[in-house]
This record gives sequence, C-alpha cells and structure tokens, in this order.
Amino acid sequence: MLGTLTARDPLAGRIPVSVVTGFLGSGKTTLINRLLKRPDMNRVAVIVNELGEVGIDNDLVEVSSEQMMLLNNGCLCCVLRGDLEETMRDLFIKRRNGEIIDFDRVVIETTGLADPAPVMQTLMTDTMLEDQYRLDCVVTLVDAVNGLGQIATLPEPVKQAALADRLVITKSDLADAAKLEELEAKLRELNPPAPIRRALNGEIELAFLVDVGLRNVKGKLEDIARWLGADERESERGDHDEPAHGHRHDTAITSFCLRFERPFSWAVFTQCMDVLTALRGPDLLRVKGLVNVESRAGPMVVQGVQHLFHPPVELAAWPSEDRSSRIVFITRGIGRSEVANLFAAIGAVQGQAKG
Amino acid sequence: MSTQSQAAQTLAWNMKLVAQHELSGFGGMGEGTNMQKTKDGRRIFWMAHESAPKNFTGVDVTDPHNPKMVVQTDLPHGDVRSNSLDVVGDLMAVAYQTKKWGLKPAGFDLFDISTPEKPRLIAHFDASGPSSRGAHCVWFVDGEYVHMSCGAPDFTPTHEKDDQFYRIIDVRNPSKPTEVGRWWYPGTRKGDAEPPPPRHPKFDGGYRPHNTNVYPGRPNRAYVAYIDGGAWILDISDKAHPKAVGHLQYSPPYNGFTHTVMPLLSRDLLIVSDECVKDNGIDWPKLTWVVDARNESNLVPIATLPLPPVETFSKRGGRFGSHNLHENYPGPCAWRSDTIVLGTFFNGGVRAFDTSNPYQPKEVAYFVPGAPKMSRAGAIQLNDVFVDDRGLVFTVDRFAGGLYILEMSL
Repeated sequence: MLGTLTARDPLAGRIPVSVVTGFLGSGKTTLINRLLKRPDMNRVAVIVNELGEVGIDNDLVEVSSEQMMLLNNGCLCCVLRGDLEETMRDLFIKRRNGEIIDFDRVVIETTGLADPAPVMQTLMTDTMLEDQYRLDCVVTLVDAVNGLGQIATLPEPVKQAALADRLVITKSDLADAAKLEELEAKLRELNPPAPIRRALNGEIELAFLVDVGLRNVKGKLEDIARWLGADERESERGDHDEPAHGHRHDTAITSFCLRFERPFSWAVFTQCMDVLTALRGPDLLRVKGLVNVESRAGPMVVQGVQHLFHPPVELAAWPSEDRSSRIVFITRGIGRSEVANLFAAIGAVQGQAKG
Repeated sequence: MSTQSQAAQTLAWNMKLVAQHELSGFGGMGEGTNMQKTKDGRRIFWMAHESAPKNFTGVDVTDPHNPKMVVQTDLPHGDVRSNSLDVVGDLMAVAYQTKKWGLKPAGFDLFDISTPEKPRLIAHFDASGPSSRGAHCVWFVDGEYVHMSCGAPDFTPTHEKDDQFYRIIDVRNPSKPTEVGRWWYPGTRKGDAEPPPPRHPKFDGGYRPHNTNVYPGRPNRAYVAYIDGGAWILDISDKAHPKAVGHLQYSPPYNGFTHTVMPLLSRDLLIVSDECVKDNGIDWPKLTWVVDARNESNLVPIATLPLPPVETFSKRGGRFGSHNLHENYPGPCAWRSDTIVLGTFFNGGVRAFDTSNPYQPKEVAYFVPGAPKMSRAGAIQLNDVFVDDRGLVFTVDRFAGGLYILEMSL
C-alpha cells in the first residue's frame, strides 16, 4: 500500500473573490477607479458594470476593447456580461488559455440597487464556479452624507450593510464628526462583526478588502476570528437582540452569536438549519459558524446567505482549546431567543428519539 | 484587445515558481528524475538529459529557493542519450540508448552516489547488439531489480521499430547485474509463433515498452506501457516467466504511443498516459486516461484528464499533449497520492488533477512557464515531473529551461 494518501484541501487554491457593493452614489466607481491604479493590484481581475464609467486615464491602459481592458500594473478590468456565472467561467477559461493575465483575485462591483445576496449565493453554491473561486469578502460602501437617510428609508442599503464583511464610509470629508459617529453607530448596530473604515476619494488599502475568508482547512485562530467577526462575537456587547434605537419591529436587522458547549450530531444541526431556512429563509440574511460535530476531528465551517448554504467544510483541527460551536446570525426580525429555542427544541426531540 | 495565447506568458494556478535553474546552459532534460536523501541530510535532485552532450545532472535542492548544481556529467559521444534514470538510496541506474543499432554504450550504468559530487561507476550492464539501441527507460525503486525497456544482443525484432522489450535485471549484487526475466509483445521477435502486430495506420510509433513500473505495494505486477501496443499488466510473481494478465488497446482509433501505466493501488484504478510526439497538434488527441482496473482482464477506460483546448495550445509552439506522470515513487523523498495526479503536457505545462471522482477528474492546479530563452520550440516543453514529500513540484523542460521548482497550494 502506498504510504501517503494526499487529498485536496477543499478551501485552498480557489481564487478569492471580493464583492464591492453600496447604494447609488456611495462611491463604488471612485473606489474601483482608485483601486485599479494601485501598484498592488497586480494580477487582479475587476468585473464592473460599465467600462466607460470607470474612467481610467489612457496612459494606464495597455490594451482595451469594449469588453475588457488590460492596465499597465498587470490588472484586468472587464464588463459583466449576461450573468455572473457566465462572465466568471469565461474569465477562467481565458485565463487558462493564456488569453488574459493569470489573475489571482477577482473584485466584483455590483450595481447600486443590487441586493448582494444573489451574488453571494452564486459564489457560495454554484458548483461550476466553486472549483475555481471562493467568496472571500463582501465590502459595502456607505455614503457619509446620505447613508443614514438611505438606511432609514430604503431596504437595499440596509441589506447591503447587514451582509458586509467590511464597511467603508465614503465621502467622510463632506460630513461633520457628529454625523459620522451617528452613521458608524448605526452601521455597528446593523452589523456588529464588520470592521468599519473611513475612506476619502476612494483611497483605501487593498488589504482591508481582501483575505477575510478562510484560505485553507488548517486555519489559524486569527484567520478564523477574522472570518467569523472581529472579536469572534464573544461578548454580549456585540449582540443586538433588541435594536438599540427605535422600536422593535419585524424588519429590524438583528445580529447575535449562539454558543453551544455540547457537540451536535450532524443530523440535528442540519435539521435546525433546515427548519430555520424553511420558515424564515429570506430573513436569515447571513449565517457563519464553526460547529462542533460529534466524532469529527475539527470543526465544520458553515456559511449561508438566506436559504442557500455553502457546502460544509471540515477544518483539519480546532484552532484553540475552545471546542464550543459558535454561530453568528444576522437576521431580519428573528431574535436570538427564537433561534436558540428552536435549536433547543429540535435537540431535545432528537435526543429523546435516540433514547 | 488581443486574445491570442502568448507563449511568452507564464500561466499559473495554484502553483508558484520557487526557483528555476538553467543547469549551466544545458537545460534540455529527459524523462528520468528522482530525489536522493544523502547520509549528511541533503536532498539531491537527479536528472537525465534529453540528449548529448550531457549525461546527467545533480542539483542540491535542500533549500528549494537556492538550488545548487553539484555535478553534471558528459556522455562518451554524441550518438547516445541517457534520457532516463532512477535512484534508490545511494545507488543510481542510468539508461543509455544509442541512435543506431550496434553502437555502445547501450544498456545501463549503476553508480554509487554516496558522494553526489563524485558519482562512482559500479557496473555497466551491456545490452548492445546487432539489433539493439540499448535502454530507453529504467525503473529502479527497490534496490534489487531494474525493470526496463531495452534491446538485447540476442533479440532480433520483426520490425525495426520494435527493437526494445521488457527486461528484468537482478542488481542485488550491484557489481554483477544479471538478467532474470523478459517479456515482449507477441510477434515482435523473429521466430515468434504469432504474426507481427499491425502497424499503426497513421503514426507508426512502434511496439516496445516505454515505462515499466513495479511497485513494492504490489510486487507481483508490472505495469507496462507498450507504445502502439497499449497498456499491459504482467504477472511477475515468477520473474523468469512474466505472464500477461491485462491488456488495454485503444489505438487505433486513437493515435498510439502509450507511455506510462501508473496504478492507484488503493483504488483499483490505472492512470495511463500517452505521449505526444508531434508538434503543433498533429497527433492530437494525446490523452491521460483513467482506467477501471477492478478486473485486470477487463480494463475499462472511464475518463480522461481534462486538458485546455487544443485549438489554443497547439498554436503556442512545439508539442501539446500528455507525457510523463509523477509516478508515486516509493522512497523517502517522494510525495504520494492516490487521488491527486500530476503530469507534464509539453507546452501545456505541468498540471494537477483531483481524481476523487474517477468519472469526473478535475484540474486543480497548473503551471505553464513562459517560453524559455533559446528554446527551439518557441514555447515551454515540460517533459517530466517529480513531487517531493514537502509538496514541492520539480519539473523539467525538454530543450532549454532546465529545472523549475514550484510550490503547490492544494
């Protein structure tokens, strides 16, 4: 028998994809324009809605067509054609054929009115794309001047903020300190785990927008903490079962982290999630977690957006002594206690069934 | 914008260049590579050259970022090539194949490489003869037997292209290599009862073995790729009398030149590679097959490894198509996997495939170096690959680029 059997790491080797979203006028094009000029954007493919809008100076462009332009820093910019799957598959095929640069990162700009959830779901669950790509990070831009008003009145900006891994406040020079603080507080309320950064004229370091997702199954503690949320959602401080401002209503965005000390059977865990998605899929905005499953060496990584979940991945080992399951939920009008009760009820019934 | 595939451009996915060594300007490498761990803890990567004037080269790759050539040797004349070698402990077997019948050296040398800087010849196995070019390929992994594709003074082929066959040489006493067994395709030796096999109608590559692999995990089997004669499994429980137990012939309609038969023993699968031997896609398709070997006497191809489009790569220069595999070598320095398969594809570079689902192998990594300086093909022509136990990929160019060391992220 052969000595070593080596299999592929289900997370390593996928090209990371960052999604840049934000409401109309939030400065996505400015940010993309600035990003494209950075020297560290070497080997990045950027998918935009329209090439013309990006407005790159001619002296930075090496070659261009209606669909694509190659910049002299080694980065590629192309237009979203048809659907995202088709564009991304086509990019990979061209990359493999040596017809374009062999990019090692993709940045996707969504339209201002877009709900980022379908883009995220595509990246998490499309079986044709998942061999080559993985969703690394969702970055949401919020306009310092108009952001609060948009969040108060429109559904899209709320969802964009709630789904983000990173939040960027743009045009911060145009708002006073009090307004900025109010906006930051609102964003923290909508999405406590996501770090917030202020940007002027789209100036932001690439590092803030990348390397959030888990890169391999041998993830270290800091990688996992970074992915799950800045403080790993340890403290109750970050939990917003009750919205901090205003009255509780069904559409309020809520974020909380559930911890379970006892390992799950995989069947119980998936039943809990199945019931939750069946009853409230559209309101289950984002779920990320490490789940301790009986008789598994490492934790299972689960992540989902609304009713769709990425295939679960088992990490090689626990990153620390802490073996408890930790699941972060960002929901629309589903409270911590309701989810906790559901898990308790299904766990109890299943436990009885096992005798 | 231009969407032509540019041979100058390096293409990479999940493999990153750690270092390249041009081997003092003699960077045209054959298909014999292996790694030695020396008693003083160094790792020496040994490579046979594609053709004269050089014989073999050893490079210290202990620090893969800083490979250092420790020895490079010359052939006695220009009408012989080494092409193939193998290493066990401090013993190295090096093949010699001449351009014409009757020339010497034809056969193989055994070297003591305990001091890699000074390989010491222990013995020469002479296979020269009136119809022999000597050895094209050697397999030596157990320190006891050399399995090879080789001619012999007493072997007169029925067709000039069928002048090599499978030979087993006992080297337990390294100073006296002795033949203990042989097998040839029925009908290829003058005097055989069987008629000579039919020539391939388009590309007559010949009926002779290329790789002759035997694994310690299944010592009673030889996996023999027989060029236009397809893939063979031989029962060698009695080395003096190898017996055919399995055969897969898919050419014609395919274009022949079966090159390597590698078993994935724990999964009852074979990976069978062809060799592309013509430039510009003329002999396409040259594929790597996944074969169901649960029943040795009924080998069933179930998939091929997915390659990038021939329309694109056949225009990049030189050959494009399958060739050598990383052969899951036994020994202390090799990486072994029964699911991930790596191969070289000439201008298609080195590519890795996940065969977890044998019906749908998936490409998981590739590296296609930009055209090496002075390459007469105008493109990279990766010829062979070896993966070490650190997960580093060592791959060589056929004409000019020498050795490329890559890091794989799987």
